[in-house]
Amino acid sequence: MATDEAIFWESLHSETFPTLRLYGWSRPAVSIGHFQNATAEVDLDACRGRNIAIVRRPTGGRAVFHDEELTYAVVSGSALPSFPLSVTGTYRVIMACIARGLESFAIRTDLSGADSSGDHSVLPACCFSMPSRHELLAGGKKICGSAQFRSRDGFLQHGSLLWAFDPCKTWDLLLPHLKHEEQIAGLRASATSVKEAGGGFMDFNELIDAVVRGFQDVLGIEFAEGHLTPGEENLRDRLLVEKYHTDRWNIEGRVAKHGL
Amino acid sequence: MKVFPEDLLYSREHIWVRVDGDVATIGITDYAQEKLGEVHAVDLPEVDDEVERDEPFGTIEAAKGVVELIAPISGQVFSVNEDINDDIGIINSDPHDTGWLIVINISDADELDDLLDARGYHDFILHEAEAEV
Repeated sequence: MATDEAIFWESLHSETFPTLRLYGWSRPAVSIGHFQNATAEVDLDACRGRNIAIVRRPTGGRAVFHDEELTYAVVSGSALPSFPLSVTGTYRVIMACIARGLESFAIRTDLSGADSSGDHSVLPACCFSMPSRHELLAGGKKICGSAQFRSRDGFLQHGSLLWAFDPCKTWDLLLPHLKHEEQIAGLRASATSVKEAGGGFMDFNELIDAVVRGFQDVLGIEFAEGHLTPGEENLRDRLLVEKYHTDRWNIEGRVAKHGL
Repeated sequence: MKVFPEDLLYSREHIWVRVDGDVATIGITDYAQEKLGEVHAVDLPEVDDEVERDEPFGTIEAAKGVVELIAPISGQVFSVNEDINDDIGIINSDPHDTGWLIVINISDADELDDLLDARGYHDFILHEAEAEV
């Protein structure tokens, strides 16, 4: 999260090129949305007992259990013609890029509409319990969960493209988890993964390449592989110390008044 | 149907301003709430905080994202709408009246000259909508 946010702020200040960042998780973690109530919606004891880190995102949305997934982050200035000025417009473009990538695995996807149904009460704190509008569905199930932060001059959108999904791993980390069988069944009915939707044997590195190609094809661009700039590294380190390694932000959702 | 009250001034970041002497009430426009979707949460400054024109004064979470609220003019926060805590939906249902966000003591009245009237704001969002197509 610190890296995503650092890339975002540095892109605004230094007018660098848009960035697509793809990454994984060295150990499972739970991320929650900017405004979520950590103590009411996350089983903190269960997370600590399983050594699962809890991090609050700068973006909105609901809780995600990060495990077997390809996490993406897109950072861009608002003035670029590739991305509309609206939150939903940007969503549609990025989902089109990921959808194009998934076509490589013969996975057909659709965007959820305004009439997406589902029992949101199954596990309301969970991002994958029910798709909201403009989200990517495979076989009617959510395969990619995303969230966006937007300022006047740019946006950060990041999300989880599920490589594999085991609802049992998510269930007892989020609250309330009172109805084991019902909530597990509900999650299984609402979410899917690349492995499940694609069937057969796939290679995770092929997924990475496919997503990159998807962005290039839809946006008509060519990526140049890069590394964090010194400015991004410095800001990332500062964000880790002052924000993402603190309970003040991750649990309480507070930022320092004149800080980050 | 979008609403553009004639008694308001508007910023290009979709914030409205109602001026009453040295005091200004501020909120998001009907166009903004429609584009954002259902508002879930808002983070606003506290009384006595300073807000600066063209700088963020808070954030709002709606259906698909967290968006910064950009101050249309500068001033010191005099009041924050507490009714939002009881019913966040008033930002969507009544954005120009009961869904107001903050009241500030205006620090530089000249900044009001840079804002748009209702007609100007209407033309601005038409142009923005065309650019997105």
